[in-house]
Amino acid sequence: MNNIALGRYLPIDSCIHKLDPRTKIIALILMMVAIFIPAGWLGYLVIGAAVLTLTMLAKLKFSFLWRSMKPMLFMLVFLLIINVLVIHEGTVLFTLGSFALYSGALSQTLYIVVRLMLMIMLTTVLTATTKPLDLTLGIEDLLSPFKVIHVPAHEIAMMISIALRFIPTLIEETQRIMKAQASRGVDMEEGSLKEKIMAILSLIVPLFVSAFQHADDLANAMEARGYVPDRPRTRYKQLKMQGKDYFTLFITVLLLGGLVAMAWLS
Amino acid sequence: MPITFEKLTHEYNADTPFAYLALDAIDLSIEEGKITAIIGETGSGKSTLVQHLNALLLPTKGSLTVLDRTITAVEKPKQLKELRKRVGLVFQFPEYQLFEETIAQDIAFGPKNFGMSEEAALKQAQKMLQVVGLSEEYAERSPFELSGGQKRRVAIAGILAMDPDVLVLDEPAAGLDPQGAKDMMELFVRLNKEYNKTILLVTHDMEHVLTYCDHVVVVDNGHIAQTCDKQQFFKDSTLLRKLRINPPAVIRLRDELNQRGFSLPCDLIDMDTLAKAIADEVKAHE
Repeated sequence: MNNIALGRYLPIDSCIHKLDPRTKIIALILMMVAIFIPAGWLGYLVIGAAVLTLTMLAKLKFSFLWRSMKPMLFMLVFLLIINVLVIHEGTVLFTLGSFALYSGALSQTLYIVVRLMLMIMLTTVLTATTKPLDLTLGIEDLLSPFKVIHVPAHEIAMMISIALRFIPTLIEETQRIMKAQASRGVDMEEGSLKEKIMAILSLIVPLFVSAFQHADDLANAMEARGYVPDRPRTRYKQLKMQGKDYFTLFITVLLLGGLVAMAWLS
Repeated sequence: MPITFEKLTHEYNADTPFAYLALDAIDLSIEEGKITAIIGETGSGKSTLVQHLNALLLPTKGSLTVLDRTITAVEKPKQLKELRKRVGLVFQFPEYQLFEETIAQDIAFGPKNFGMSEEAALKQAQKMLQVVGLSEEYAERSPFELSGGQKRRVAIAGILAMDPDVLVLDEPAAGLDPQGAKDMMELFVRLNKEYNKTILLVTHDMEHVLTYCDHVVVVDNGHIAQTCDKQQFFKDSTLLRKLRINPPAVIRLRDELNQRGFSLPCDLIDMDTLAKAIADEVKAHE
């Protein structure tokens, strides 16, 4: 479980790491929009180049990006099959019995695959360069204007940060319970269906019990320290936009604008 | 046949940036039929060491022999069930592994996994409830209604029900009240004496080591710092202090008196003989 790359923070000293989390979140959203602008293959070439530059600026290894994409491969293959079967546009490339492969299907699928890959790469760059807690701070700040329409920005951010905080704890707990049950003869890999169900049950019940236990303890600890969700709170870590943040946003808007122009012209 | 480790190395996350060497080429032999304490600071590799005993962790390098099985780093071992039945491993805070609807069912879970029939397993569960000091009426209750200490007894009963030859316990008395801890330790002594089970005990409590164990293994930073019998171990408390472990009260008393001019023999490790030795020395002085 320790080799999951998706969503993992990598402590490296790079200029992307030093950006304000809000800058990175906004830039990610803008880039995502850019990905969906139909600017043709040239557009994807531009975005692809931008993503590669980002990766290099963040000093991330391409093997890391590749590993974070691996879990999605299955979905990509699935998409490919569905598209090839469903889309009947363009010219017929070849036929196999009653099945015909259209050029439209192929290009459409490639578009989707490229889009998904770019999105995963971008998100990975964000999560790999931003500490989870900074990320939630950023989300909270970006959501705070919506407090006027009763969006509980702080509560949402708190929930996200608690959830993130407990992922490693729960993974550790899962491994411990798996080992404890393995010591009692549970075999997670072999065995009949009934044995497998028992194996999963012997894992899930204790995991739930301890998750509730943790939630209860945490709630008590927070209450003991006087936590009231909707009261104004001060923060140890203050986010501050700097010149480089505005510069980054400027470049991102420029990129988006460029793509819109390309889509307009073609 | 003793349990032997030969040049056993365990590295977590090997070949990644997160690699961590937990055990570094350790050689160790643990005698059968004895109670052996495994001590060391937090993070010294104790837990990693004991998890090799029933092959939950496999060596990165080297090998170990438990009962008649040899596990090496070279080949991936198969059929580990047999070994896991014979080496019962009780994790720290085992109460978190309970999951069945009734206590009897939970205790019977292990034996059933190892091929015992439902009926025989439940019978075994009843027996084990008594062994760990809970009355029969608990059998049909939910394990989640129990207190922490009782849950732990049930969890240990679940391992005992497998009737292992070797029993490995990771801090079985942690977090129990003094009486509960004492009962627990006495249970292990009984299992050792009456059923001749080999017992390995990871512990931080030197009083327990002094009172209940036969041998001591000291793990320090992935190495074996010392293995010897209890008598030998408590002769000299410098190693203990170096490991930031507080020696038992008797040893502290003996050492402090010696520092202040007494010349008590260093192999005194129980209160009665120590008291007698002090009395003798005081009398001789007068």
